[in-house]
Amino acid sequence: MVTTTLSLSSVPISSLDKRIQSLENEQSSLGTQEYFVNMGPQHPSTHGVLRLVLHLDGETVKEVIPVLGYVHRGMEKKCEFIGYRQQVHLTDRLDYLCALMNNWAISHAIEKALNIELNERIQVVRTILAELQRIQSHQLWWGVFGMDLGAFTPFLYGFRDREKITAIFEDTIGARLTMNFIQPGGLMFDITSDFAQKVKEFIAYFKPILNEYDELFSGNIIVQERLRNVGILDAKTAISIGTTGPILRASGVAHDLRKLEPYGVYSQVQFDVPVGATGDCWDRYQVRMQEMRESIKIVEQLIDNIPEGKHMVMKFGAKIRVPEGVYYSEMETARGIYGNFIVADGSEKPYRLHMRTPNFNNLWSIIRMAPGLRIADLVTILSSIDIVVPDIDR
Amino acid sequence: MDDDRLTAKNNYVKPVQALPIRGFFGRIAYGLGSLLKGMRVTMHYFIHPSTVVTQQYPENRETLVLSPRIRSQLSLIHDESGYHKCTACHICEQACPNASIHVVDRPEPAISKKELDFFIWRLDSCTFCNLCVMVCPFQCLEMKPTFESSVYDQRLLAYNLTKYAGPTSTVLAKQTDDEARKNMIEPRQVYDGPTELGGFILAGMPESTREKKS
Repeated sequence: MVTTTLSLSSVPISSLDKRIQSLENEQSSLGTQEYFVNMGPQHPSTHGVLRLVLHLDGETVKEVIPVLGYVHRGMEKKCEFIGYRQQVHLTDRLDYLCALMNNWAISHAIEKALNIELNERIQVVRTILAELQRIQSHQLWWGVFGMDLGAFTPFLYGFRDREKITAIFEDTIGARLTMNFIQPGGLMFDITSDFAQKVKEFIAYFKPILNEYDELFSGNIIVQERLRNVGILDAKTAISIGTTGPILRASGVAHDLRKLEPYGVYSQVQFDVPVGATGDCWDRYQVRMQEMRESIKIVEQLIDNIPEGKHMVMKFGAKIRVPEGVYYSEMETARGIYGNFIVADGSEKPYRLHMRTPNFNNLWSIIRMAPGLRIADLVTILSSIDIVVPDIDR
Repeated sequence: MDDDRLTAKNNYVKPVQALPIRGFFGRIAYGLGSLLKGMRVTMHYFIHPSTVVTQQYPENRETLVLSPRIRSQLSLIHDESGYHKCTACHICEQACPNASIHVVDRPEPAISKKELDFFIWRLDSCTFCNLCVMVCPFQCLEMKPTFESSVYDQRLLAYNLTKYAGPTSTVLAKQTDDEARKNMIEPRQVYDGPTELGGFILAGMPESTREKKS
């Protein structure tokens, strides 16, 4: 065994080459050998261009160092140039599976700044769409999670059902992924007359399908044994890293902004917050599966009586002027808290815009969870975190 | 964790199902059962071919129904007589987040106003955010659901949306004489597919794309 004293905090990433060199110089005497392996940037299970430098001892992971920046597009800086009206559509491209919720969050910040009172119809439609998006995002995660564990079948099932919601979005919004539908002051269009009917049809279709997911995948002994006690993240660590969303809730912290600081019409609907106990991969899996059921509950309560009203309470031109001040808005997307911190100087462009994206913080939980596990388990953990790489780099 | 709202005592907190701990034989029995259960789902779809959702895309082109709201192609609305309502006010150009729209105007000698010369839209840099359609004060733009716009040359992705250069439809409607109306406009677009960048002929452009489509 090679004995080296390496710790993540002490060595910056730039000195990786030196560390690899120092390991190569040392002689190994017994069995396993320590070495570095690049996982990514082009790796199917990292769901994008994420590079993980693995410090391995045989097949055991000793350390994981995420290297970011491969899809950095300078979103925050770009927002300083293009203005409040135009930056809404950029948020589609952060966490592209929660495009509507991101649109809502940034629109909410602008509405807060301009003191726009929204009518009930806009709030209800926004809530329904956000919950549909949450289901859609979890469906995709479920399919990809199965594929990362080595089962290709769930991928096809997940995408088959995701297509149903995507079809609803296509008819209502006109886009499948980058929607830009929720605008400051309301919605881009009014919903179609058959929107409620379509959503009801989907719910009737999807409820038994969730049981099918359980039969096909959750109940499977191989899946259960691969998720049990893998990647345990305790509540204290989860909070200290700053994880949010299903990961934090799986660790036993019932933190959900929909309950703590209700926005939209979440205060008027009944739903539970699924919370895990141990914080292993199984808990994270179950939390998301239950969240889909809770989202269905929310949509069912709202879909029957969508109030009448305008779809846009305030129509903006090409520019929006936001009064001087500091504004913050945050929302619970499918992966955690997405927050917008706007420093406005009174012009039509923000002086500074910071986006607090959930995936950036969630990713770092991997450096606490992975040490001591095998590479196959690392893939499980990475998939159970459910990262979207453009959201990390932004 | 001191916050009461975050503890598991809350009434809305729903603990998820924990994984049961099984013995050796229990695992074997459960494992076989769970595999058979999963196979049952697979077999159900195997013997019910009507549940297959695959679409045979290039073959079903004739029957493909697309939602009218799908945004994949910007177009300048021309009424049944072929006239548009664009006044070349440049608001869509200002609203465009990535400078995909370029409106070229020209002075109209008759009423000392500006009129539309070229409306250039670049599909290659467009993000289909629909802002141009939303901000247009005359509702003269729309997004169409035609999606098959791939070409071999990137320069072909710059579209010229104007069919003529000249005044808006409202001005043209006031002119009763057909011959005079014809003189007021200048045909711009002969080919309604992708056009050369900026409406001008570029070197190295394939000859066939400049042909009339009629």
